[in-house]
Amino acid sequence: MPPAGIWIDGLIQSCIYMTMAFGMVLVFSILGILNWTHGQFYMLGAFVVYYGIAAAGMPLPVSMLISAVLIGGLGMLVEKFIIERLTGPGYGPLYVTVATLALIFFFEGASGMLFGALDKGLATVLPGVLDLGSFSVSYQKIAVIIFTLIVMVAMYVVLNFTKVGLAIRAAAQDPVAASLHGISVGQVSLIVMGIGCGLAAMAGGIMAPVYVINPFMGRTPMIMSLLAIIIGGIGSLTGAIVGSIILGFLNSVIAYRLSYISELVLFLLVIIILLVRPQGLFGASRK
Amino acid sequence: MKRSYSVAIILVIALILLGIFAIASAQKPAQAQTSEANIVKIGLPMPLSGPASPWGLIPTPFREAWIEVFNREGFDVAGKNYKLKLIQVDDQNSSEGGAAAAKQLIYGDGCKFFAGHWSWNFPAVAAVTNPAKVIFVTRTGNQALPKSWGGLYDPKTMPYVVFGSPSEEIFIANVFALVKKFPESKQLGMLDCTLGAGAGWDQVFDVLKKAGIKYHMERFPLGTTDFAPYITRFREAGCKVVYIAGWVGETMQFAKQRWEMGYKDMVVGSSGPFVNIDMYNTVCGHDAAQGLIGQYWAPWDYKKTKVNPKYIAMCREALKIAAQKTGKPYEYTGEIGWVPSHTLILVQAMQKAGTVTDTDAIMKAIRGGTFDTTAGKWTMSGAKTYGSPVVFGSPSALCEIKGDKEVYLTEDPTPPLL
Repeated sequence: MPPAGIWIDGLIQSCIYMTMAFGMVLVFSILGILNWTHGQFYMLGAFVVYYGIAAAGMPLPVSMLISAVLIGGLGMLVEKFIIERLTGPGYGPLYVTVATLALIFFFEGASGMLFGALDKGLATVLPGVLDLGSFSVSYQKIAVIIFTLIVMVAMYVVLNFTKVGLAIRAAAQDPVAASLHGISVGQVSLIVMGIGCGLAAMAGGIMAPVYVINPFMGRTPMIMSLLAIIIGGIGSLTGAIVGSIILGFLNSVIAYRLSYISELVLFLLVIIILLVRPQGLFGASRK
Repeated sequence: MKRSYSVAIILVIALILLGIFAIASAQKPAQAQTSEANIVKIGLPMPLSGPASPWGLIPTPFREAWIEVFNREGFDVAGKNYKLKLIQVDDQNSSEGGAAAAKQLIYGDGCKFFAGHWSWNFPAVAAVTNPAKVIFVTRTGNQALPKSWGGLYDPKTMPYVVFGSPSEEIFIANVFALVKKFPESKQLGMLDCTLGAGAGWDQVFDVLKKAGIKYHMERFPLGTTDFAPYITRFREAGCKVVYIAGWVGETMQFAKQRWEMGYKDMVVGSSGPFVNIDMYNTVCGHDAAQGLIGQYWAPWDYKKTKVNPKYIAMCREALKIAAQKTGKPYEYTGEIGWVPSHTLILVQAMQKAGTVTDTDAIMKAIRGGTFDTTAGKWTMSGAKTYGSPVVFGSPSALCEIKGDKEVYLTEDPTPPLL
């Protein structure tokens, strides 16, 4: 049995993937695309929070909100001027895939030029640890768990008890029927992209004090979130949450048991899931 | 109609851009002919983009400042004074990037010498430099090791390769220094990325086994940010000292996380020099960064290795210039044993050979030669181990973070290769 510290670590990993995966699924369910730049919005969010705190002296929650608004806005611009055009007549999902893949390198390169080559950190934000006897947990990681809970509850409320949420759910279920009922699917797409990218930015922001901040920090969370939504079922919000929890714990426990072989086991697991249950644990069957 | 119009506009823009590049390229050789007759070009394939880019970008102000300081006097060969010109090209730390950068430097820029190279693409770069008779000063380690050690270096097919920095040997010397410094550790923990597996590590394991030193090795997949499972495994194996192979961000995260997990007595070291002490303090947290161990390249603090005072003064001057040009304190000393040392080997070999163009004559001067550099005065060795005496010596010094400074810790001359 792995020690308690490994299970706590797994929970924290799950939380990181959850917010990211939730935003990715939200975008997928409305726009029908996988936004490959999601990890770079996470990275940009971390940089906004870093400068908000280190340069402007703002508190972490304020920096995170600003980060969500700015990066959410950037996501909306990407949707309006790139994705919307490339999903129009004469184009297809492949064009969007190529464009969002290209944006990975654009955002990473631009961030390197803008923010410099040195890694950055916010170790002074929420310093200290909670001593639990045989192990301890940093307050920064406890903040990640609390943040994830707040985001999940907030998203549940938005999606189930607001007009915007109703419009999003309607557009996700049947965009044609939704538009016949007066819902502008274009506007919903824009809002969803803003929310998805804002969530990625806030995830990056809450992780900024925990990990190293650099232009390449978005790559691994993006891949892990993608794995989480494949395990949970592409397009399923519940699946994104459950997939993230499974992946977070597996990642931690397998790495503890098998060291670096954990990566092989995780990816093998994803392939097996795709072969046995292509729709994932909570995805709808195509039949 | 509208679409074909857009395509036409894009084509026109592309043609204009191509034209501009063509004109710019056409003008380049003319400039070279008129102003570069007494200039020796040194090519430097370095990672200037991608995750390894800090290793290429952070030392750049110092490299440029060093060349500026060096060129105040220049160097004389056969009665003529020459200056150095450093040309950096992005190698993306990949084989494809390394080969492309090497071709650009040789056939585009006309370099006959490469120096300061540390990337992982040694075989790809060597495959381009050797047929072109370009002298390639690089480091040992990874695949840049003799075939008898499982590496790819072959003195017969790579006669223009020079190992100006014995990184593999420095690493082993550092490991021994740590074992000596912390005898209470049951076994030495060592950590590297899965990408680092290969001949270099096999050689380290071999040496440790022969010396009777117990070790526990862990590898992490590329992109790992959460080291809690690895820290726990090291702890359970009784490792009080963990030495990490040169990964800057990963070292900082490891140090931070081991502190947060309550393993404050676990000593963490890295086989690279410290990039910037302020960075370690802000990423790890001040307390977690204290005692972090790294390589040390500041020759003014060396107690065993004697470095020519002239070169120490030049390095200090270059650091000042780098600080002035970047507009902030510049403390990175890790480059001192690289471009400055490698260029001094090349320059002194050119002086001994009496030529700046005949690379065969220059290589003859390098093999078994003694050179006075910023990393000390050493004689090229490795005749039996590498098959050719082309491996330079080096100090193997360590330092630790104390407060907001790096402080000298230990120093051992790298054992000569017989």
